[in-house]
Amino acid sequence: MTTTEEAPAAPADEIGRDRRRKEDRRLITGRTHWTDNIVLPGTLHLAMVRSPFAHANITGIDTRAAAQAPNVVAVLTGTDLAATQGVLANAWPITPDQVTPEHKPVAVDRVAFAGEIVAVVVARSAAAAADAADLVDVDYDELPAALDLRTAAAATPENGGAIAHPDLGTNNSAQWIFDSAQAGTGGNVEDAIAAARADGIVIEREYRQQRLIPAFMEPRSVVVDPTGEQITVWSATQIPHIARFLLAATTGVPESKIRYIAPDVGGGFGGKLQTTPEEWAAFAVARRFGKPVKYTETRSESLQSAHHGRDQWQKLTLAATNDGTVTGLKVELLADLGAYVALVGGGVPVLGAFMFNAIYKFPAYRFDCRTVLTNKAWTDAYRGAGRPEATFAIERLMDELAAELGRDPLEVRRQNWITHDEFPFTTVAGLTYDSGDYESATAQAVDAFGYEDLRAEQARRREAGDPVQLGIGVSTFTEMCGLAPSRVLGSLDYGAGGWEHAEIRMLPTGKVEVVTGASAHGQGHETAFSQIVADRLGVPFEDVEVLHGDTQVAPRGLDTYGSRSLTVGGEALALAADKVVAKAKPWAAHLLEADPRDIEFSRGTFAVSGTGEGKTIQEIALAAFAAHDYPEGIEPGIDAEVTFDPVNFSFPHGTHLCAVEVDTETGAVRLRKYVCVDDVGTVINPLIVAGQVHGGLVQGIAQALWEEAVYDESGTLLTGTLADYLVPSAADLISFDTAHRSTPATSNSLGAKGVGEAGTIASTPAVVNAVVDAIRPYGVHDVEMPCTPARVWRAIQDGSAS
Amino acid sequence: MIPAPFEYARPTSVDEALGLLAGSDDAKVIAGGQSLLPVLRMRLNAPELVVDIGRIPALHGIRDVAGGGAVAGGGGAIEIGAMTPYHELLASDEIRTELGLLHDAVASVGDPQIRHRGTLGGSLAHADPAGDCGAVALALEAEMVIAGPAGERVVPAADFFQDLFTTAVGEDELLVAVRFPVHPGWGSRYEKFVRTAQQWPIVAVGACVHMADGKTISAARIGLTNMGPTPLRARAVEEALVGVEPTAQAVGAACAAVADGTSPPSDLNGDADYRRHLATVLARRAVLAAAGAA
Amino acid sequence: MELIHEFTVPADVATTFATFDDVESVAECFPGAQVTSVDGDSFTGSVKIKLGPIALTFNGVGEFRERRLAEDGSSGRMVLSAKGKDKRGNGTAGAEAVVVLTPGEGTTGGPATDVEVRTDLQIGGKVASMGRGLVQEVSNKMLGRFTDCLEGKLTGPAGATRG
Repeated sequence: MTTTEEAPAAPADEIGRDRRRKEDRRLITGRTHWTDNIVLPGTLHLAMVRSPFAHANITGIDTRAAAQAPNVVAVLTGTDLAATQGVLANAWPITPDQVTPEHKPVAVDRVAFAGEIVAVVVARSAAAAADAADLVDVDYDELPAALDLRTAAAATPENGGAIAHPDLGTNNSAQWIFDSAQAGTGGNVEDAIAAARADGIVIEREYRQQRLIPAFMEPRSVVVDPTGEQITVWSATQIPHIARFLLAATTGVPESKIRYIAPDVGGGFGGKLQTTPEEWAAFAVARRFGKPVKYTETRSESLQSAHHGRDQWQKLTLAATNDGTVTGLKVELLADLGAYVALVGGGVPVLGAFMFNAIYKFPAYRFDCRTVLTNKAWTDAYRGAGRPEATFAIERLMDELAAELGRDPLEVRRQNWITHDEFPFTTVAGLTYDSGDYESATAQAVDAFGYEDLRAEQARRREAGDPVQLGIGVSTFTEMCGLAPSRVLGSLDYGAGGWEHAEIRMLPTGKVEVVTGASAHGQGHETAFSQIVADRLGVPFEDVEVLHGDTQVAPRGLDTYGSRSLTVGGEALALAADKVVAKAKPWAAHLLEADPRDIEFSRGTFAVSGTGEGKTIQEIALAAFAAHDYPEGIEPGIDAEVTFDPVNFSFPHGTHLCAVEVDTETGAVRLRKYVCVDDVGTVINPLIVAGQVHGGLVQGIAQALWEEAVYDESGTLLTGTLADYLVPSAADLISFDTAHRSTPATSNSLGAKGVGEAGTIASTPAVVNAVVDAIRPYGVHDVEMPCTPARVWRAIQDGSAS
Repeated sequence: MIPAPFEYARPTSVDEALGLLAGSDDAKVIAGGQSLLPVLRMRLNAPELVVDIGRIPALHGIRDVAGGGAVAGGGGAIEIGAMTPYHELLASDEIRTELGLLHDAVASVGDPQIRHRGTLGGSLAHADPAGDCGAVALALEAEMVIAGPAGERVVPAADFFQDLFTTAVGEDELLVAVRFPVHPGWGSRYEKFVRTAQQWPIVAVGACVHMADGKTISAARIGLTNMGPTPLRARAVEEALVGVEPTAQAVGAACAAVADGTSPPSDLNGDADYRRHLATVLARRAVLAAAGAA
Repeated sequence: MELIHEFTVPADVATTFATFDDVESVAECFPGAQVTSVDGDSFTGSVKIKLGPIALTFNGVGEFRERRLAEDGSSGRMVLSAKGKDKRGNGTAGAEAVVVLTPGEGTTGGPATDVEVRTDLQIGGKVASMGRGLVQEVSNKMLGRFTDCLEGKLTGPAGATRG
């Protein structure tokens, strides 16, 4: 059920309209250009030989048998490719002294995680490449592997601990600190904690953010065609623009000689926000042989080698007064980078740094994060990237504080949150939240949830000693979206800006081509962007064609991640549409023989005030194409481009309430009810928003209950198939009750805040809070994620025993 | 995921299939392919020959065995061709009414795609200890019809499962049918415990219960899934249940020792101790449900 | 994963130790194993693991890293290590078996030796990620057969001579 409350008055029919996604027919049927569908004559196929060891020196690679296998063109090692393969760059060194191991696409003399590429087989068919890969004989000399995050953080050459890259002498890549006392945004957290220890409440907890695998539906795939003047790369990526820039920068091929295309891309969730060894290797091989090459990973390779997400240890200290007002929060974080510092890998925890204080008015805050190298797959953005980790920590802590106080968790939140009349509000982390209304979102959620009834049922079950206990979890989250103001990114040492580009081309037939630099991978950009343009230009939705994902078609762009497409890319488009109207106006005035000041534009028609005369924007487009008759001093055309750089982030928020039933005999957790009321600002397409929220909820709930990437003690990924890495299906979930309210964002003219990550960020703590709430009477105050039946059951046994 | 090259044969008769098996010392039989194909694609096996028995008409179908011969026990038996896919079993009224335990277990297997391709015989011959049909075959005292060079032989389920992935079917033999005696008047329940719907069971318990007087349990059959290298039958619990009233307390007490003598695996879903505990809970629930008391 | 197997042999420690002296005979206790060459304390060979749907062939090298009998014959210790890789590059295996011999109490009052075999097997690569920890189950099965075979070798002939 999806309801819209308090929706803002729509300027035209298109905004706020449920529209089925125009791209879905081709995406769902597969009759489209997925990268692996691209077939070029003479294509060579690649298979990767990967290290089975987490950490080893390569002492020899015997490629002879493989090279002589049928239909094999070559077998190339890192040494063979050394001069041309380039390196994989880290775009966000979070400190000037960050320790960053060099990352070569194909390892040369040492491998640093199980799954790293050690040789590339080039063959005339994918099957021949796969067969020959079996024949490549690699000799390794195993090295001690740094695997456990906390152990790795403490390891030094002196204490004999395993070092992920021995030449670096340390596993600690960087330390990044924010302290409100130093920043001048708040008080000293140590003082707050000391005061609370003397008289007040101090909650200390350690939470683990388990390692997750993005598990996008389409495995990564790349085709490189070096024939012709430009080298064309098709890749299942979220970031064609960034990848093109970095490919040029690290291989020496001029950027103008590279065309990067992300055709239709089957999901990413941040997992395709990466420049990959596979793309770089394919590029080098294609150049070497002058022929097109293709590589598509297997699911096993994807699980093992594509970047993972989360993987943090959070040590948290929350200080509060005896009446439950929070006085300070201290966060000490260890973040597992894996074997290399990925594209924005080190920056992921930093994105969370501003969110631990969430919707609350904490007077003092300190965030101290260390990023740590280990011999596991590298980590980077995964839906929410830093913000889910922060939200989990604070929302779990607020429930713990409520339990300590013996009070309702909603009450404690109300006591601490920013009230509606306090916006705009500058937080202790230094961000200015422009709009929000936590009270009304919460009130609506509580009502839809039947909060009091469920609390009563919970009491009854507890009273009766029911083997099935009911738990209620709360999560009142916010996030920072719309990445990002370029100046802010610059101040954080990120290597690029956060603007987005849009272009609108008015075709002489009256159709509209829209070019966006936000490269979609399943979000529904084509539909939502068509709605924006149709709304602003007054043209039919069907007449708008959205083009994206090809650097030759959309040369400027910064791609899709961080819930930025609508708030930044959509705003660029809206502004471009306004520009088209502004450019068309003198044409209209000229053709209507009226003063431009008397021309009004409404619903696609320029009209002379007070008369029935008018010209449609399509008529103007044709007139501009012909250019036979137009005023002096303007150009013959009404197309427009805009690059939009936001001045602030946007701050969606919401109240999520979850009820679970815990079978105390088995530890099984069953979702009973899930209600959320999200404020994502102005909603362009409620159907797409609902889809994003539902999908996001599933991914967040999956972190709470099911998913975890597990390595064994030698660094082998045990969850190397989807039979072990448990991605849930519809059969495991209940129907969600999602609704939204809207306080429009002020950082863009659409009023949109972004919705791509909301459900994922909010739902994980809601579920874990519910699980813990159900079994708190058994002496349990935490269950490590994912809350498997075995862990829940064990927690009950241990809690009951103590 | 491309398998290593192999020869492929698709015989149209059991004799032809047996001939192919006899003629190769590195052949694998493929039934529905739901277990073998992933193994081939991951290259954890690279047989010279794959014998596809999917087009042998004699291996399909559900048949009454009137009188039932050795297996009848008075109630007759139902013979199911080894290559009968799960979805055909689920669509059969006869299976649902006469072999409720099998129906329930099959309904819980994987997802619709797997149930469409997967076959009863393929699953039993694969002998995955986490496969759902093994415990059912034990609890229902099924008999396996195995064809080989010397003709057909019949092996009771109790002697069929020999070890992890190992059955009484020889390298040159083929499981052609399974005979399930029907148990008129018995109740049944397959209690399966999973974390996600399409998962293999962490533990499952299949129970069949008869209450001759309608008040106390007169006979019970309990099969255990994934509690050791093979599916198991909990005979001591079956005996302990005789004469017991179907109350939670009494049945729970009788089932308390259901994990005795088992050696369940430890994996990411839970350790052996947890599985032993689960077995007791699931056995109690299965028996109570089978007795109509839950 | 470590598997511990204990049994008692009706022979004294020195005799039991001597039975272990045959590299090929001990190594071939591993199911599907074949020793192709022996050079002092080291040997090369292959192990063919065939279980249900899985068939893998590991080629590798092994050695007796330690073979020590106390001078007074009161205890013995052997460490056998081996490592190999699947011929299709699907996995690696490393194993170490530590055999400890101590005087035991024979049931008939004659000499006896308690044998403890601790075997640690590490499987890596694709095979270890195949699902549900099945490779662990397979490994356990293999180790079980290995130690059963050792027990058989030691108790069989020794028992027979005691008659």
